[in-house]
Amino acid sequence: MDETSRPVANSFVALREEFDDWAILFNPDTADAVGINPVGVAVWKLMDGRKNLRQIAAEVGECFEDVPDSAYGDIEAFVSELAGRGFVGYEVGDSGR
Amino acid sequence: MKRQSGKRYETSPLEIMRTPRSADIEITSRCNLRCRYCYYYDNPAVPYHDLPGTEWLRFFDVLGRCAVMEVTIQGGEPFIREDLTDLLAGIVRNRMRFCILSNGSLITDEVAAFIAGTGRCNHVQISVDGSSPEAHDVFRGDGSFVKAVKGIQILQRQGVPVTARVTIHRRNVADLRNLARFLLDDLGLPAFSTNSVDYMGSCRADAHDMLLTVEERQEAMRVLLELDDEYGGRISATAGPLAEARGWRDMEAARRRQDPQWTAGGYLTGCGCFFAKINVRADGMMTPCNMLAHLELGMINRDTLADVWLNSPILGRLRERQNIPLAQFELCRECPYLPYCTGDCPGTGCSLTGDVNRPNPDSCLRQFLSQGGKIP
Repeated sequence: MDETSRPVANSFVALREEFDDWAILFNPDTADAVGINPVGVAVWKLMDGRKNLRQIAAEVGECFEDVPDSAYGDIEAFVSELAGRGFVGYEVGDSGR
Repeated sequence: MKRQSGKRYETSPLEIMRTPRSADIEITSRCNLRCRYCYYYDNPAVPYHDLPGTEWLRFFDVLGRCAVMEVTIQGGEPFIREDLTDLLAGIVRNRMRFCILSNGSLITDEVAAFIAGTGRCNHVQISVDGSSPEAHDVFRGDGSFVKAVKGIQILQRQGVPVTARVTIHRRNVADLRNLARFLLDDLGLPAFSTNSVDYMGSCRADAHDMLLTVEERQEAMRVLLELDDEYGGRISATAGPLAEARGWRDMEAARRRQDPQWTAGGYLTGCGCFFAKINVRADGMMTPCNMLAHLELGMINRDTLADVWLNSPILGRLRERQNIPLAQFELCRECPYLPYCTGDCPGTGCSLTGDVNRPNPDSCLRQFLSQGGKIP
């Protein structure tokens, strides 16, 4: 994965928003679940297979205050972990954008 | 990072999750058996009629939109519904997993294969009350043991995860050791759970025939604790003698050590269901729990689930139970176990006292001891 990778959220995964903007991602096929914070929720909603990681990080940066320098790396690690657990895939080919 | 002002989502002021995580669905009020201790039947508050499949499928779409994670299909007897596979397909389509609670007697290879094929079934739980027809059929009806075992074997053959539930009563308490061997060794189930007959539903007519005496309860606790050791945690319980034995032993140890009050102790904190789960009766009425079926919250496909969940005054009051101190009840006054007691199940307590905001007297450790009971 690099900054041009275009992650796409697994459509079988349910985003369950609970309280204080935190949420659970639940994969009903595997019963795997992961708790995510508000930034994770924002990233999840932006993973449509058209935006690359750099674009996602930029949009997240616009929604939040006090964005740390490590934000891009944190988002990359987060997406990578989700991909490793089958919650996220990567769009291949031309983005058309 | 903090979300920019103006972009923040609305959150509930009570810190209640926006929708329930799971739902218990009484998919039918029909059953081919009439178990004498059934909690479900003979409840004057419940209209026993079924919704058509189309209504359930609409509601499963609602559950999907609310990101409910798991549905427990129960009844009545779920396998009595001719459209069960259509309904399960609706659950799967809405990104949920499911469990089914059944008496096992109507399970066919065809339906079991369908369930296995979904890949979404956590387990099918079959009620088994004895290691032989004598112990099982006494309150469930002749022939039900053979059919339940056949149902388990069909599920196993088709690769469906299967567990069992043992309801302990006066006529099977002496069979528990054989029953554990039968379920875990002979049938090869990974685990089973236990509870005991409660003073609810059909049981109320013949309670003395079925409810455990103090001596029988003590014996059940002793045997189940031994079996629990023997089988390495493959026997579970959230109610009944095994749960009581574990809880009461901890409470007694805490009392002897004079431990400070437990976090959940001293108040009506028993049962967290109201914070995570909702029940739906066969007629479509949402209720807090299948043991509080008379508390009507709203009708599916007419009232909005998320609105009911967040704003129902009944649910609000039930969630506030945790602020009611046990010390205000005569039953609990000067009880040495009070700092460690939660008041137990509101459903059972309500069936005995008529008030959901009272502790369950049937789970009172001090009362059990005063009646001659001993913690094993």
